[in-house]
Amino acid sequence: MKHPLAFAAAAAALATLPFWAGDQYQLHLAALIGAYWILIAGLNLVVGFSGQLSVGHVGLLAIGAYGFAIVAGTHGVDPWIALAASGALGALCGFLLGLPSLRLPGFYFAMATLAFALIVTELVLALDGLTGGGLGLSVPTFPEPFDTPAGNYWLILAVASLVTLLTWNVARLMWGRGLICVRDSVVTAQAVGIPVLHAKLAAFVFSGLTAGLGGALFAVIQSYITPDTFLFELGMFFFVCIIIGGRGSILGPFLGTVVLTALPELSAPLAKLGNFFYGLLLLLVVLLLPEGIGRLFQIAMERLRPRRIESMPIAPHPQRLTDAIKAGQR
Amino acid sequence: MLSALIAGLATGALYAAAALVYNVMFSTSKVLSVTAGHTAMLGGVFGAWFMQVLGLPVPLALIGSVVVGGAFGLLTDIVAIRRVLARSDEHLWLLSTLALATMVQQAIALWWGTEPRPFPRVIPQDFGAGLLDQKYWLPVIVAIGLAIGLEVFYRRTLYGKLFVAMSEDIFAARARGIPTDRIRMLSYVMAGAMGGLAGFAAGQLTFAYFALGLTLTLNGFIALAVGGLGSNVGALVGGAALGILSSIATYYVGGEFQQTISVGLLMVVLLLKPEGLFGTRNVRPV
Repeated sequence: MKHPLAFAAAAAALATLPFWAGDQYQLHLAALIGAYWILIAGLNLVVGFSGQLSVGHVGLLAIGAYGFAIVAGTHGVDPWIALAASGALGALCGFLLGLPSLRLPGFYFAMATLAFALIVTELVLALDGLTGGGLGLSVPTFPEPFDTPAGNYWLILAVASLVTLLTWNVARLMWGRGLICVRDSVVTAQAVGIPVLHAKLAAFVFSGLTAGLGGALFAVIQSYITPDTFLFELGMFFFVCIIIGGRGSILGPFLGTVVLTALPELSAPLAKLGNFFYGLLLLLVVLLLPEGIGRLFQIAMERLRPRRIESMPIAPHPQRLTDAIKAGQR
Repeated sequence: MLSALIAGLATGALYAAAALVYNVMFSTSKVLSVTAGHTAMLGGVFGAWFMQVLGLPVPLALIGSVVVGGAFGLLTDIVAIRRVLARSDEHLWLLSTLALATMVQQAIALWWGTEPRPFPRVIPQDFGAGLLDQKYWLPVIVAIGLAIGLEVFYRRTLYGKLFVAMSEDIFAARARGIPTDRIRMLSYVMAGAMGGLAGFAAGQLTFAYFALGLTLTLNGFIALAVGGLGSNVGALVGGAALGILSSIATYYVGGEFQQTISVGLLMVVLLLKPEGLFGTRNVRPV
């Protein structure tokens, strides 16, 4: 916490957003960003910290969303229990996916997660007795006072803050260092005694949990889900948010999520280009700024306000030297 | 049952062709490019466009598709590979090729539309030919021809030997005076052209469809991983096995679980024999 004032101002602004947001649509957008961020915060530990390029988290999002819709909607269970259940379901699926695939080298892992996303879409269509197939499912809302758009936003804000706090704790303590070490050099990580698979798997299961929670909240925002909601391109989008924000940071991916979600919604030409725009952004960032946009801010700040480098030259002092020598001879 | 086998073999041949595209790009750059399947998609879409919209004769359309594929290969090298390989971070190429693949797929979706469109007849043939229809044997012939051609190219020609040398040890190759950048560019153009040809040949099977690229990228990779990375025979065997397995599974279980079964095959092979059926084990982390 280098800037407690800025942090408090941002927190206050987020908490009071329903009062100053221009219209319902902007509030909806803010809630959507929150739901995405819940997933991306967990994914950030996998992609940004431990360096595992998972492009298939949209599959886990779909599992969370359908889990919530089936448990709370079809079976009429209390939505809070359903929320917890979809988080647990996401974590379980993350475990089952991560256990074999995290042993694979980079590209193989990315392909395994890609395949997972496609399989989930396929199964959602195939098991139409459970998921409604191509027709989709309607999703119940939370009970009062969370059934209004503003209440829903506050609920999402609370969950997102909690998840952010958890990831921040992981990132700044020993776990985060270990994950970064796994990202930068597996051999070094093994040599200094980091349990590589265990660390990666723990991060991945946590990301599955947040994806399940994010999926449930996302489903509530959408209020009706079909397989078309969870296209592979959405998984690309999550991934791009993190890469653009910068790996190994939390603020960077958050800003990436906000900007990338809001930009196409606020400008129509970009929305038409859609995923082409995300691909272009990803390419530009990888080629020009592999450290992410956050690095650009750092460079700009250095230019504006260069760090003061303390230099304390010590002037020679012959008199003290001769005194000391004489004292030594005596 | 026989029809399922033959259809599976044809699809498998297309997967094998995508795996060969991966192999050619991998040999000179050690990069598994996500754009491998998209070259074939471009071949199919542009083939249909040349013939149906522009009304070109078949040979011209074929050459056009191959040229488009080759141009895309060149673009992949220039945009997504060249600058990234100079950096030491090994997974940047996954991001850059993924970005390029997404851009191409979306560009085609915006320009061509998201519905699959039919691909015209390549060789005059009656539609009643049943299982002897050209849409089944064209991809098989092209995939086998590409594999044989590659083997001859690697063994008999100087450029092929340069490819092999670069895949063995790129630093040693450069020390012997091989212009590695130019050879890599050539390999990407070649891979793109091969993909364009395969996509053109399989056009009647897959239709001209923008989302084919991602499916082929995944299934071609599965074929490659099952057969063994870097092996052309492995690519053919892996592709055929994958195609036949998924079509038999479709025949017995229904089409809904196709993806699940093919990924199941991949996982089983990777767990039992991580280097693939025909691959060589190369483990040296330090």
